[in-house]
Amino acid sequence: MIVFEHVSKVYPGGNTALRDVNLHISKGEFVFVLGRSGAGKSTFLKLILREEKATSGRIFIDGKELGRLKEREVPYLRRNMGVVFQDFRLIPSLTAYENVAFAMRVTDIPERKIASRVPYVFNLVGLSDKMDKFPDELSGGEQQRVALARALVHSPQLIIADEPTGNIDPELSMEMMELLAAINSVGITVVVVTHEHDLVRRFNKRVITIDDGTVVDDCAGIGEVLL
Amino acid sequence: MMRFSSFKYLTKTGLHNMVRNRFMSVASIGVLAVCLIITGVAALFTINVGSMMDYLGSQNETEVYLDRDLSEEGLAEVDQRLRSISGLTDVIYVTKEEALANMRESMGESAHLFDVFEGDENPFAAFYRVVLEDVSRLPEIRPQLEEIPGVIELSAPVELAQTFTNIHHAVSVICMLLVSVLGFVSIVVISNTIRLTVFARRKEINIMKYVGATNGFIRYPFFVEGVAVGFVAGLIASVLVLGGYQLAVVYSAQLPAFWGQMVSGILIPVEQLWWQLTLAFFGFGGLLGSLGTAFSIRKHLKV
Repeated sequence: MIVFEHVSKVYPGGNTALRDVNLHISKGEFVFVLGRSGAGKSTFLKLILREEKATSGRIFIDGKELGRLKEREVPYLRRNMGVVFQDFRLIPSLTAYENVAFAMRVTDIPERKIASRVPYVFNLVGLSDKMDKFPDELSGGEQQRVALARALVHSPQLIIADEPTGNIDPELSMEMMELLAAINSVGITVVVVTHEHDLVRRFNKRVITIDDGTVVDDCAGIGEVLL
Repeated sequence: MMRFSSFKYLTKTGLHNMVRNRFMSVASIGVLAVCLIITGVAALFTINVGSMMDYLGSQNETEVYLDRDLSEEGLAEVDQRLRSISGLTDVIYVTKEEALANMRESMGESAHLFDVFEGDENPFAAFYRVVLEDVSRLPEIRPQLEEIPGVIELSAPVELAQTFTNIHHAVSVICMLLVSVLGFVSIVVISNTIRLTVFARRKEINIMKYVGATNGFIRYPFFVEGVAVGFVAGLIASVLVLGGYQLAVVYSAQLPAFWGQMVSGILIPVEQLWWQLTLAFFGFGGLLGSLGTAFSIRKHLKV
């Protein structure tokens, strides 16, 4: 699903964010990418989303080499991955339903399909009763779930969650993580980028640790989820 | 190609942006409307001067006034030299009696005022009326007429044609300058308006990128906004310019003086040009609107 081969990223100005990163994330995996702020996590995300290009090395998503992707192919790449951000990124002037529908409207999907798909994903994240609420009428955890519904709306093969528990209460973060695990259980690859050791420790999953731009640890989880 | 429902949705978004961003929208509509109005007035002026020159061209007669003390031989020489100038289709000698008769005729009911000028009291002088084949050749023929010994003056239409040509030229130059400056200002103001929308919508643009909206989908609403601003300005300019022009036509028809009659006879009626002008206003407005948007997007919307 995601392959990094000797990937380095140096920003203009000389700041080296990633240094010779090699990793392989298979289809259907659940992976934590752990690192302190400034370790290179956001660059890792930006490279996967093709917001930035690698300075050297090659990145493959689903067999496609991102460095060779044409600009006009980038939107179609992104439709195959759903992103959930720490700050939710919901549009405050739209209801929860409209926020999710927005992602479909701007990608040229017919109204009929939107009307059937949106309630379906709200059901998946357990928010069917709050579709008509505006973001500021929802709790942090609920807003996060709306964002997840939006990420799921294009039936992506990959879900990327950037600090998904950063802005919500600790008890709700478990709920969020379980939701991601449930999504993963149907075969969708999930990559959770976080700096929270606690969170990672509570789930026995593969953890890729990044520090100072390099992968310093990559260990697979063993056995069951520890609760 | 985009679906009709998407097209409708994004168009609505663009129009909504224009309304939401109303302060800047009004400012850019205002500047653009002023630009269009000046362009329109200049165009109307040019068109009418053109038609006036055509009119003068159809009246391509010039009167050649002679020295009153010209001898028979001198007159014969004038006659011969006039007839040798190429580009004249007719050379007519008008005696002073005919000149007086013409004047009496043109005065209508007041003709009796000229009774005292009969016979030896006739103040008119004999002159030649020459007809030009092509009025635009006047500048080249004029000196040939003037250099004939015994010719003292050429009549007004010559002067008028020259004056119109000069005015026409000056107005065109001034208007082109004004229009290019104002056109530039309009583009700058519109691109600023769009920049504000880009700024206000940066969150949505960011989300659109992550959910995989194509660049076309992200940009299209901004073009809708820019072109809508252009169309509204075009509408305002059409109403004001055509309304003002209609007033000028009506008002000039009521002018009693020679000028009024002349102008009202020559002004092109509004019915003949309103749709071309309206089309041009909308086209030009839409063009400047989309140019402004394009500049703004290039600078401020990184997709």
